[in-house]
Amino acid sequence: MPRQYEAVYIFDSALEEPAITEKLNRFHALLPQTGTDAIAVNHWGKRTLAYAIKKRDTGYYVIANFKAEPTQLPEFERAIKLDDGVLRHLVVVNEHDYAPVRDAADRSAEEDDE
Amino acid sequence: MKRSRKGDPLAEAGLRYVDYKDDKLLQRFLTERGKILPARLSGITARHQRQLSVAIKRARFLALLPYIKRGIS
Repeated sequence: MPRQYEAVYIFDSALEEPAITEKLNRFHALLPQTGTDAIAVNHWGKRTLAYAIKKRDTGYYVIANFKAEPTQLPEFERAIKLDDGVLRHLVVVNEHDYAPVRDAADRSAEEDDE
Repeated sequence: MKRSRKGDPLAEAGLRYVDYKDDKLLQRFLTERGKILPARLSGITARHQRQLSVAIKRARFLALLPYIKRGIS
């Protein structure tokens, strides 16, 4: 029974863009996507870290949302851990909808009324 | 127990679930030293406070938030 996951990767900022996308494709190849739902990859880009990780102060953040079978995750995580281009990663079950109950437009309209 | 007088900022924002990636939002619930504000000060409900603490801890792991802010005298 596939579940919805969200993975956040922090890549070494020394890596260039193509190297990062190549690594991402390698990781995501381990998560065969059934049907139409592809993996949603969202590049935040380079950000300064709140504290040094592995002697580095900046990291390249990438967020991926995908559906996967729980059995596929160990393999996926092992590949990430083996790759030293990834400073840190976090995979989380993501079945909450973050969409605000009222979207920003209503809220700003509401604020004007007060 | 002083109930939240100014209402729950999270409920007002209409957020259904605290997102650990939204560090600007999470920042509002930290002291200058980077510690988590108690619910009685931030005025949020217990349910939101539980979600908030999990989100903050995840954000700290991902270096979006510091564990401890040094240097602020």
